[in-house]
Amino acid sequence: MNEVGLLDLVLEEEFTRDPNLVFLATNSPASLRRRFGSDRVRICPISEQAMTGMAVGAAMSGLRPIVDLNRASFAMLVMDQLVNHAGRMHYLSGGQYRVPMIVTSATRGRQQLGPQNEQCPYGIFMQTPGLAVVVPGSLRDACALLRGATRWPGPVLYFVAPELNRQRGLSAALAAGPLPFGEAAHLRHGDAATIVAIGGAVKVAADAADALAADGVHCDVLDPRTLVPLDTAALAASVRRTGRLVFVDDGPRSGAPAQILSRLLDEPGVAVAVGGRIGFVCQPDVPVPSSPPLEEAMWPTEGRIRAEVQRVLGEPE
Amino acid sequence: MTMAVAPARSAGPAAPDPVAMFTSMVLIRVFEERMMELRTAGEVIGPVHPYVGQEAIAVGVCAAMAPADFLVSHYRGHGHAIARGVDLDALTAELFGRAGGLCGGKAAALISDRRTNLLMSSGIVGAGVPVAAGAAMAAQVRGEPAVSVAFIGDGALGSGVVHETLTIAAVQRLPLVLVCEHNGYQAGNRTEEVYPEVSLLRLAEAHRVRAVGVDGNDVTAVAAAARDAVEFARGGGGATFIEAQTYLTRFHLQFERPSPEVRPADEMAAWRARDPIDTARQSSPLRDRLSDADVETIWEQARERVEHAVETARSCAWPAPEDAATHVWAEES
Repeated sequence: MNEVGLLDLVLEEEFTRDPNLVFLATNSPASLRRRFGSDRVRICPISEQAMTGMAVGAAMSGLRPIVDLNRASFAMLVMDQLVNHAGRMHYLSGGQYRVPMIVTSATRGRQQLGPQNEQCPYGIFMQTPGLAVVVPGSLRDACALLRGATRWPGPVLYFVAPELNRQRGLSAALAAGPLPFGEAAHLRHGDAATIVAIGGAVKVAADAADALAADGVHCDVLDPRTLVPLDTAALAASVRRTGRLVFVDDGPRSGAPAQILSRLLDEPGVAVAVGGRIGFVCQPDVPVPSSPPLEEAMWPTEGRIRAEVQRVLGEPE
Repeated sequence: MTMAVAPARSAGPAAPDPVAMFTSMVLIRVFEERMMELRTAGEVIGPVHPYVGQEAIAVGVCAAMAPADFLVSHYRGHGHAIARGVDLDALTAELFGRAGGLCGGKAAALISDRRTNLLMSSGIVGAGVPVAAGAAMAAQVRGEPAVSVAFIGDGALGSGVVHETLTIAAVQRLPLVLVCEHNGYQAGNRTEEVYPEVSLLRLAEAHRVRAVGVDGNDVTAVAAAARDAVEFARGGGGATFIEAQTYLTRFHLQFERPSPEVRPADEMAAWRARDPIDTARQSSPLRDRLSDADVETIWEQARERVEHAVETARSCAWPAPEDAATHVWAEES
């Protein structure tokens, strides 16, 4: 969790509360290891598959392991452990076994990590049943959702944007209690359009909505906070009211935004209400290049969000 | 670190009863032969991976385990389940895809059984090894004496995660026993076609894991090796890799028809001559303790037991279509 250091303090509190929490990583927080010992806080070789598979077995045997993968790109290494095992064992065993475990990783930052290690793969895990997918949009939610994850009865994939580290209000964030999953945050209110923003893109989306409001265009801004389970009801209610929908995400357009859109279109009245008035401000479906001028094209910016909202507003009813 | 199998110790758990082990091997053999018939007949669902010829390994290893120990199996796992004491009726109903099956019909052969601490029977080669290591870690963290046992085939050493886990098991001294049933085949390939050498002991040793070779068709030898490894793990010594030499006497799998795999005739004859059930029957102490009539009774009782399980499975209802969507998510407690 070295990308967002405040989360280590959350873990220390949760480790005190729940003796079944254990931590597996190539790089475990020194203070956590000092306080809780090398049995519960393990340093492992660079063996992500073994760590994640061990977490499955430990979770099935009564512990609640946390595996820190460091980078979200490393989720690609452990697809078998996550998809075929963590997400399937409750089902495969006919409900006999639970797999309460958490896999944490950092998504994209302005770090020029390039095509391999700058990724937001959470959309992939919206089509792998059994796995909860958590993508906090603020530092406070990052803390509160991590606490929620330590109480969830099944496996949780927790993706945090390094950008959240820039936010203030550390003590308030640390003091936030556990957040339940499946409840979107309704950050701005307006009838002009619905902006659904995810993870590291939530703040820039809210800033863009504020700028639009100053021009008299008031938008709803919703942060799903957990992609699985998804607060479809809250998102659908907003879209039915506004009739316009813009997705803002650091990740690829065909990832979480496309997944959320398909779920919303299944909700009664949404397809008719929204018509074709749908916009995307996302990473295009290309890898993230390293050079800053190239990387810049991959980020949702306030200007791009405002332009996309205006474009959707210009579409006929 | 390769070592000969230690003789049975006077300390520790009681030595397993040879008659009980023989009876268990016969039950597995009868069950497997019947499941293949019933797969051909279309009553058993999914693929059947027969365990015929390897019975001594499941029975010898499970005889060394305590009830609180963890077990991880794989798709060729009927023998492991029976040796561990999984309810035969529920197992059979699961293989029939019925609602009353062990996992409600969701698993077929890929069963879990919480009652006997059978965590999983993975359909992915090698994938159960870190899971077993995780259960071993759980025992270690809680200070409980449980040991975790995983069955794998020789093919699993081709999987990277197995090597990763061996390294971690060694350095973290996990109470783990990996039982490698070296049956010479990896799906359609012979092991010498795809591995640099046929002995697998040095692969485990390279990870600094204690490695023990044993005749996998000799249930007494397997039980002794397993007992030694389980006691070593329970005493805090760490992991053991047991390579049990055996032979895939039937085939990798069957659906409607048995796989048409051919075995070299002389090789097959040599292994048939060392059939684990015949070997146990002809060795002491069974040679003296069981008459031919006793042995025939054991076979007859096994056939009756299996037929009872088959009739029970036939009488079980199919799952309701809406059950397809249950148990995707665990309930919040």
